[in-house]
Amino acid sequence: MSTLSELSVAVEAGKRNDAKAITQALLDQGMKPLDVVEQGLVPGMSAIGEKFKNNEVFVPEMLIAARAMKECMAILEPLLAQAGIKPKFTAVIGTVQGDLHDIGKNLVAMMLKGANFGIVDLGTNVPPEKFVAAAQENGAHLVCLSALLTTTMPAMKTTVEAIKAAGLTSVKIMVGGAPVTQDYAHEIGADGYSPDAASAVDLALTLAEA
Amino acid sequence: MDRSFYLNLAAGGMRMPIGTHLVLHEQPDPAAIELDGDRLGDVCAQAADRFRTPLAVPLMDLKLEKEALLLALGVAPGEIDGFHFSEPPAEGPRFDSTPRMRATCDAIRRVAARPDLVPLGMGIGPFSLMTKLVADPIAPVYLAGTGLTADDDPEVALVERVLAVGTELLLEYFATQIEAGAKAIIVCEPAANAVYFSPKQLAEGSDTFDRYVMEPMRRIRALFAETGTDLVFHDCGELTDGMVEKFGTLDPAMMSLGSSRALWEDAARIPKSTVLFGNLPTKRFPSPQLTVEDVAWLARDLREKMAETGHPFILASECDVLSVPGCEREIMAKVEAFMDA
Repeated sequence: MSTLSELSVAVEAGKRNDAKAITQALLDQGMKPLDVVEQGLVPGMSAIGEKFKNNEVFVPEMLIAARAMKECMAILEPLLAQAGIKPKFTAVIGTVQGDLHDIGKNLVAMMLKGANFGIVDLGTNVPPEKFVAAAQENGAHLVCLSALLTTTMPAMKTTVEAIKAAGLTSVKIMVGGAPVTQDYAHEIGADGYSPDAASAVDLALTLAEA
Repeated sequence: MDRSFYLNLAAGGMRMPIGTHLVLHEQPDPAAIELDGDRLGDVCAQAADRFRTPLAVPLMDLKLEKEALLLALGVAPGEIDGFHFSEPPAEGPRFDSTPRMRATCDAIRRVAARPDLVPLGMGIGPFSLMTKLVADPIAPVYLAGTGLTADDDPEVALVERVLAVGTELLLEYFATQIEAGAKAIIVCEPAANAVYFSPKQLAEGSDTFDRYVMEPMRRIRALFAETGTDLVFHDCGELTDGMVEKFGTLDPAMMSLGSSRALWEDAARIPKSTVLFGNLPTKRFPSPQLTVEDVAWLARDLREKMAETGHPFILASECDVLSVPGCEREIMAKVEAFMDA
């Protein structure tokens, strides 16, 4: 008989085939899909996130764990939708215009998904108006902007300005990426900055619940 | 060239940014210059003159090789930026230089006509090229480190095939630059870092860094050795100490590292015949939070620490210094601050 703690361990270790098999077994045993997410997947991602923050593991281990969780979610999401269960918060995420990097953005998206955020991933090289439209259409609580290049950081400022100009005053904006700093976030009027994917979840929850 | 050339530059206190992009973007038509080898060569020479160095450095545009490979495979120009292989390319394509590559080689020829300058070449490293051609390279590299082979996992097979095809293209491109007159070539491997390779996995004995970064680099190094071309190795990514030590085994004439490294500690990790080059935080130069005074202090501090090590050292930027629209004065003021500190 499979257990939720086995699922957490499989996700944390990035063993996607094991994680999928345990997820299916738990459902077959009659476990509610939301319980599988909240008591199996989320603790696994939280555990690896803590280790990441403490420099015990690194981006590859995080990515492998996130991939395992993503494949489990592919099994669970249709069942959650059938049961009418929706994520409490929605985040729109993307890499800003001119920037094609997506590793950090993908990690944050998967970590947020693991924390039960609904994610609208706009991809890379996203113009400001697309962030605005997606936030409006999806009733986003949060917009997450990523940039890896000093040359594309100004596009973060433009995007923040566009979101504010569209009157989306309740939408919180968080920024991140290698060259981005807390000072820069403050300077461009973003609501928060996160130095890494694991910390991004804590920040996102704080901002969304504010 | 004789290794003493670089050692003498270091001993003479030379300092320089990789500043060709800054000078290019002072011109009224930078896009046109990028395609005009003679004018591009003049910009490289102008940058060398401006920053008081004999090293004429090309533009560090690490997209040229991806473009060349994909054009050779028939990918439409408009799709190249976002293109990633979903399955391994069967055959390495017959590779033709693109207009930008031809301009780079013509620029090298132009610089070579000036006896007071050393024409440098430039290109991306094999591993970093692969990461631009595969949508998710981190996971398969990690999986390869767990013992999965190309036969076991299609994503590992994809990474290894793309790496092999890319390496062949780079060997050809570097040979073309050498024919054009490059005396040294800057090979940029910024993706060979702790984001793509787990330090934990490497510490546990994974050989992926050696197979995916060092082996292709050793082939490039062998080409350079055959042709008497010097290697300038550049990696501004987050590195482990072990990675730096491995790069040192390539015996580069100069090693350029990012600002995350404490160069005065790395001095003990690489041979004295390799000049350490760097590593002021130039990626932060556009930000007003880093002041001109900060930069001058960082420059003095780094020079003092490196002097204590006795290791050959050139005070320099951590990467190419990009001209950011709206921040040009801010950036140039900081470049001047470290040149004069």
